[in-house]
Formats: sequence, structure tokens, C-alpha cells
Amino acid sequence: MTHTERTMLDYDKLEIGEPLPSYEYLLTHEMAERYREGVQDPEARFPTIAVKADVGAYHRKYEDAGSVNARCAYYCYNPPVPGKKIRVTAWIADKYVRREKPYIVTEAISVDEDGRLIDRVITHELKRPQEVGKKWGR
Amino acid sequence: MGTVMRFEVGMELPPVSKTLAQAQITLFEASGAHQGPSIFTDPETAEKTLGMGRPVASGRMTLSFAVETLRRFFGERIYNHTGTADLRFIRPTRAGDTVTVRGKVASITPEANGSRIAVELTVQNGNGETTAVGGGSAIVPAGLLPPAE
Repeated sequence: MTHTERTMLDYDKLEIGEPLPSYEYLLTHEMAERYREGVQDPEARFPTIAVKADVGAYHRKYEDAGSVNARCAYYCYNPPVPGKKIRVTAWIADKYVRREKPYIVTEAISVDEDGRLIDRVITHELKRPQEVGKKWGR
Repeated sequence: MGTVMRFEVGMELPPVSKTLAQAQITLFEASGAHQGPSIFTDPETAEKTLGMGRPVASGRMTLSFAVETLRRFFGERIYNHTGTADLRFIRPTRAGDTVTVRGKVASITPEANGSRIAVELTVQNGNGETTAVGGGSAIVPAGLLPPAE
């Protein structure tokens, strides 16, 4: 998976509502099986959670020093079907500074090749990941 | 017509516990087509990026455990089509940790064709430390609820 023409994040210039690159991927049976094994749940039907669709779109546009997931909301609409292509549409939903630390909120929806809405994900990422080591140590 | 489902505020969800191994964390990342070293799979990257000597598990793994907890409670026919989960991650989770998701019904709100059942969620590690908090919900169709609800 290559990311061309990425730019270094300039937090101050980031615009709320700014679209992120849309992209498409094939959800394979192998991805679904690995997900179920990873989360130890044979009934798990949303391997798209592990795809990190919103953050994946963000990283198609921006480079940065890393981040930490501070909050994540997930909405289930229809379980995806392995073997189908999934199209991701994503955007910058918000940005804010809390306790002098910068956060970016990304949002994405995933729709399969038949037009079925699969899920929606909203992620708040702390864009100063070294804070984690400072707070929780090694 | 399915079995009538009864909910009341304060009702507890059956907890779900998972013990994490690095192999499962790595599988989770691979399932999302995330290749190469990352804070989730590589100690050096975790040190460089986070200042932590060991990889961490993605918050989305904990989110997946919350989704499982809620799906088991509401049933897949309901949760997989109307379900939500929303977690704030408080403390990192790493290989070797056992995390347990607990929940209880927080509110029942009538909607057009049923009721939204909202649940409070807490995730703790084996030391009893809270690693994530938040909630989730699903819309239970009116036909599956007692008439009073």
C-alpha cells in the first residue's frame, strides 16, 4: 500500500471538514479470519474495525510524528461480506487542544461494492504520542 | 416474532474477558493490512514513538471486545445493524494483560420503531485498573419489547 504525495502535518493549517483521500480495498476471507483470531471471537463480523479506515485515509494525505488513539466510536450498520470491495470516505471531523495537547478527530464511512453501508468510525487521536510514555512509563 | 426482551436500568451485561498475547495483537494488525513495524508490533518503534519499551495493543482491540460484549447482550441480529460503541482509552493495554469489559444498562429511550438501550461500559485490566470507559447502544425493535416499554 503506497502513500504518494503525503505532506507533513501542519496542525494549525488542518481544516475541520477537510476531506481525506477516498480509497477502496478488497476485504478478503483471510483478513476476516485473522481478525476473528486476533480478537478471539469466532462470531466477530466487523473486521473493518482493524482496517482503521479513518486513520488509513489520514495517512494517505499526511505524515506526522505518530499518534495515540484517545477515543474511538464505532457504528454498526451491516456486517461486511468477505470477498467484496469496500470503499472508504473520510474527513477531518474536528481538532482541539486539551490540557495543552493537540488532538485530531477523523471520521470515515465504509460502503461495499453493492452500496451497503457497513460502518462509521470516529477516532480522536492525540498527536503527541510521547505523552503516553511520560504518563505510563515503560 | 422473536422472544420478548426485557431491559431495565441497572441491568448488568455478562462480562467478557480476554487475555492478550503479542501473537493476537500482531494478527489484529495484520487483519487490517497494516504491515511493517508499528507501536503495536515492534519494541523499537514503541520506544521511539511512545517512549515505551514494549508494544501496546491498539485501542481498537479493546473496542472490538466492547462490540463483542454488546453483541452478546443484544444479539447479533439487533446489534450488528443498530449497534454503537464509544470508548475513551485511559491506560495502555499490552501483551500479557487480561482485560474485562463490564457494562450495565444506563437508559432506555423510546424511538420511532423501538427503544434505544444505552449501556455504560468499563474496561479493567487484571490489576483492577481501568483501561477504558464509555458506552454503547442498540435499538431494540418494538415488537421484541414488552408493551409497557
